[in-house]
Amino acid sequence: MNATAERRINMKRIFIISILFFFAFLVLFYLNDLPEIVMGTIANRFVEKSVEETGSLNVVTAILYDYRAFDSLGESTVLFAAVSGIVLVLSRKMLPVSSHGLSILVKRNFGILTPFIALFSLYIITHGHLSPGGGFQGGVILGVISIIFSIVYGSAFDYERYSPQLKTTLETGGALLFIFIGIMGIVFEGVFLDNVNFLNDGTGTLISSGSILVINLGVGLKIGAGLAIIFYSMIQKTFGEGLE
Amino acid sequence: MILLEYLLIGFLVLTAIMAISNKEILISIIFLSIFSIVLTAIYLLHKAPDVALAEAVIGTGLNTAIFMSAISHVRERDECHCREED
Repeated sequence: MNATAERRINMKRIFIISILFFFAFLVLFYLNDLPEIVMGTIANRFVEKSVEETGSLNVVTAILYDYRAFDSLGESTVLFAAVSGIVLVLSRKMLPVSSHGLSILVKRNFGILTPFIALFSLYIITHGHLSPGGGFQGGVILGVISIIFSIVYGSAFDYERYSPQLKTTLETGGALLFIFIGIMGIVFEGVFLDNVNFLNDGTGTLISSGSILVINLGVGLKIGAGLAIIFYSMIQKTFGEGLE
Repeated sequence: MILLEYLLIGFLVLTAIMAISNKEILISIIFLSIFSIVLTAIYLLHKAPDVALAEAVIGTGLNTAIFMSAISHVRERDECHCREED
């Protein structure tokens, strides 16, 4: 009785696994059959015209922060709402009790590595219009640095140096920078979030593509600070219950 | 290249199944993190480095840390319940 039930469960599992494999390879097969560029659609126009219109070599960033910048503003509003909700539900006003962190080997090694991680995230944010990446990805790396601090050095280390008030200020500053660039678009070009071509040093250089660079900086600050706030409000509650 | 893609897709499905079917939650979190790494490689093969970067950072780094903190939370509560029953 027991053996037959086990065999039936195993058969069911193998059946599900084989169906999953079948669909995975089906999707892969049809993904390879997609045409490279469909003629006569809006994607074709983005590929052809985006470099001369926005000055950004990375077409994905050009679409995200120039053509569809209003959608990106909506996305950062969603993150702002998520951060507000999590802080409202989870946070309690108490200093987290710090664990001692990991061993001294890990601490020293991470101390050597941290500047390079921060430099990499800054590189991804500022070169968003030239190479893969952009404000969102670089900002997440900035937030992850703060999270690794709490794992390696204990949670009070980051909390004492960068207070939640500072992080909230950074997040709000990023959002305000985004909206400020949008209003600059109204003043100079006549449309909200239109690309203001100031400080243009020629296509392909670091200071180019107008407002895309500044929007990248704002989004990076906002995302990094927001994710750090989410993680620390979760951690706080854990340590608060450990206290009792 | 096509062989590598088939291998990665197969590995992706395997890690997803392992993450769902494992009873220990910690092990399924680690399998989810492996899933994200394999998915990053597939995104790179399909020439989407932007999405690959986001997936690598969020799926491997951030998700694992947040899930870990959530799990430590749940475990503490479970232990407290056990003591009350004793």
